[in-house]
Amino acid sequence: MKIITFVKHVPSSGATPRIAVTKRGIEEEGLAYEANETDLYAIEEALYQRFVHQGTVTAVTIGPRRAQAALHVAYAKGVDHGIHVLTEGSHGTDTALNVAAAAEVVKKQGFDLIFTGIQADDDLQGLFGIALAEHLGIPVISAVTQVNVSADKKTAVVTRELGGGYKEEFEVDLPCLCTVQFGIRPVRYSSIMAIVKARSRKIESMSLEAMKIASRQASRMSIAELSYPENSGQCQMLDGAPAEAVRTLVANLVEKGVI
Amino acid sequence: MGSIDVVVYCEAGAGQTEASNASLITAGAKLAANQGGRVVCLLVGNDIAEVAGELGQYVDEVRVADAPRHADYDPLTVLGALQKLVVEIDPCAVLFGHTHIGMDLAARLSAKLGTSLISNCFDVQCEAGATHFLRPMYRGRVNAKVAVEGGIIVATIQQSGARQPDLKGGGQVIAIEVEYAEDRRIRPLKTIAPTRSGVDIAKADIVVAGGRGVGEKENFALVEALAAAVGGVSACSRPLVDIGWFTSSSQVGLSGTTVKPKLYIACGISGAVEHVHGMKESGTIVAINKDPDAPIFRIADIGIVGDLLELLPLITTEVKSTRTA
Ligand SMILES: Cc1cc2nc3c(=O)[nH]c(=O)nc-3n(C[C@H](O)[C@H](O)[C@H](O)COP(=O)(O)OP(=O)(O)OC[C@H]3O[C@@H](n4cnc5c(N)ncnc54)[C@H](O)[C@@H]3O)c2cc1C
Ligand SMILES: Nc1ncnc2c1ncn2[C@@H]1O[C@H](COP(=O)(O)O)[C@@H](O)[C@H]1O
Repeated sequence: MKIITFVKHVPSSGATPRIAVTKRGIEEEGLAYEANETDLYAIEEALYQRFVHQGTVTAVTIGPRRAQAALHVAYAKGVDHGIHVLTEGSHGTDTALNVAAAAEVVKKQGFDLIFTGIQADDDLQGLFGIALAEHLGIPVISAVTQVNVSADKKTAVVTRELGGGYKEEFEVDLPCLCTVQFGIRPVRYSSIMAIVKARSRKIESMSLEAMKIASRQASRMSIAELSYPENSGQCQMLDGAPAEAVRTLVANLVEKGVI
Repeated sequence: MGSIDVVVYCEAGAGQTEASNASLITAGAKLAANQGGRVVCLLVGNDIAEVAGELGQYVDEVRVADAPRHADYDPLTVLGALQKLVVEIDPCAVLFGHTHIGMDLAARLSAKLGTSLISNCFDVQCEAGATHFLRPMYRGRVNAKVAVEGGIIVATIQQSGARQPDLKGGGQVIAIEVEYAEDRRIRPLKTIAPTRSGVDIAKADIVVAGGRGVGEKENFALVEALAAAVGGVSACSRPLVDIGWFTSSSQVGLSGTTVKPKLYIACGISGAVEHVHGMKESGTIVAINKDPDAPIFRIADIGIVGDLLELLPLITTEVKSTRTA
């Protein structure tokens, strides 16, 4: 089976990015990055499917030069190939353009199964995988928590999440795309050593600009302004030494009558 | 008249998040009022006449496809119905709840229409001729004000309990037939109800929840000890279910259980929208987190910045001594 899995390089979870002076983007300098969390689950699922059905797993990232680090993580976990679509400047933030580029790449590779994460932690869109499937004209199931490919590799039974703990099962024809939900399979820890070693693996690189892809998007979404969320002002922050803060907290809760 | 009406896709049925309909209709009404258009609601499901009648109080028109074969969510069928409606009434926007189903449909529709998707919106602003959508980015640490030019707007709207839509009354309820889409490469098999085991966290008056910040599994005992001291139950955020410490019946949030206790104590939980969805209606919210910028503090009533490993035992002891005093 030919399996493709997407991995995006996103700012790390620990810090709040600094908003640029233009207020339309963030300061990239000094920011730490990591592989997007649900994409790690997608990689694990891809590797599991390879284990059961044989074949190859190709990881693809689209982004600036630094995004190669996401492929190092994928290599450390065990994928067979890494492809980097290099974007310069603001091109990297145009989802439609990225989707079109991704479609070119996967068509060239050939595929039976494509995995993406359910959403990227930076733009929180949850669009890329579904838009890619639409572009390719293949079926897509989102928020997937289980994939069972049939022995003849022509269909798969896929479980997706609905809300509130409900799930739904679908049968789907291959090739298809699944957007992978958190928890589909345990994410194994990758040691720093393994990631360092993965840096010497060959990454196939192509430039988005050279691919000459036109965005087919009819309407354009643009960021008018970024801001830091305001504290609604209702949260009483208990500063001071822990023991004192705790006393105030408990006294407060008793006063409110909640404990 | 085209491009002034707003279509809202409401939910009703197994695994569907009916509670999201209110904020969705409020946002739709705001957009429609700005354009001088109507709000048309699409509802697809089984045995949903009552919901349709109820929604009719708040919108101009409800199109309802009510049939046993719609009992299970079928993305392609609903998508087909949406596309037909879009062609018929040429709306300026199609809105969905920011739920599993809403996210799925909105992404599919925007891809079909070739337009952008504005997901996860918590507010819509119409002023001085411009419409902006407000949404989080970067795990909720930054807000973006988004403008859209041209094309049909496809957006998902976060659930917010505070905003009930205005009663309009007199909305027409029109029964429609929707066909299964021709493309049968995706075939719904069955809906699986959640297995509820152990305590029902939705029924508790006090919920003490631990998140990834708990670190090691042994540390969760600190969460449980506090829950016991305050006479509440313990619960968790999704990552602790994903790594197998708990079953999903302990999980608070969009894909887990929605709770509304009089006291919710969030320990080592960052406050992602999907978690907040399931607890923001709680009476008093206390947040304990070592990161002063954690989004959870924005919806909390009382916050302490610090290490939960240090703070939880202190709180538990203090509660116990207050109780015996
Ligand atoms: C479709 C969908 C549905 C989802 N459904 C749900 C859902 O139902 N429920 C849910 O919870 N999530 C859900 N999620 C996942 C959600 O997006 C977040 O990933 C998740 O809520 C994060 O959990 P967390 O806050 O425990 O972990 P993190 O975001 O990793 O936060 C951990 C926090 O702990 C703090 N911390 C670390 N160490 C300490 C310490 N020693 N003392 C104090 N604080 C500390 C950190 O500062 C951080 O803020 C869903 C996601 C998607 C895409
Ligand atoms: N630039 C990118 N490079 C690689 N994968 C991406 C990229 N953008 C989105 N994806 C994939 O699509 C998923 C959803 O992204 P989004 O629609 O941006 O929320 C992510 O979890 C990734 O798997």
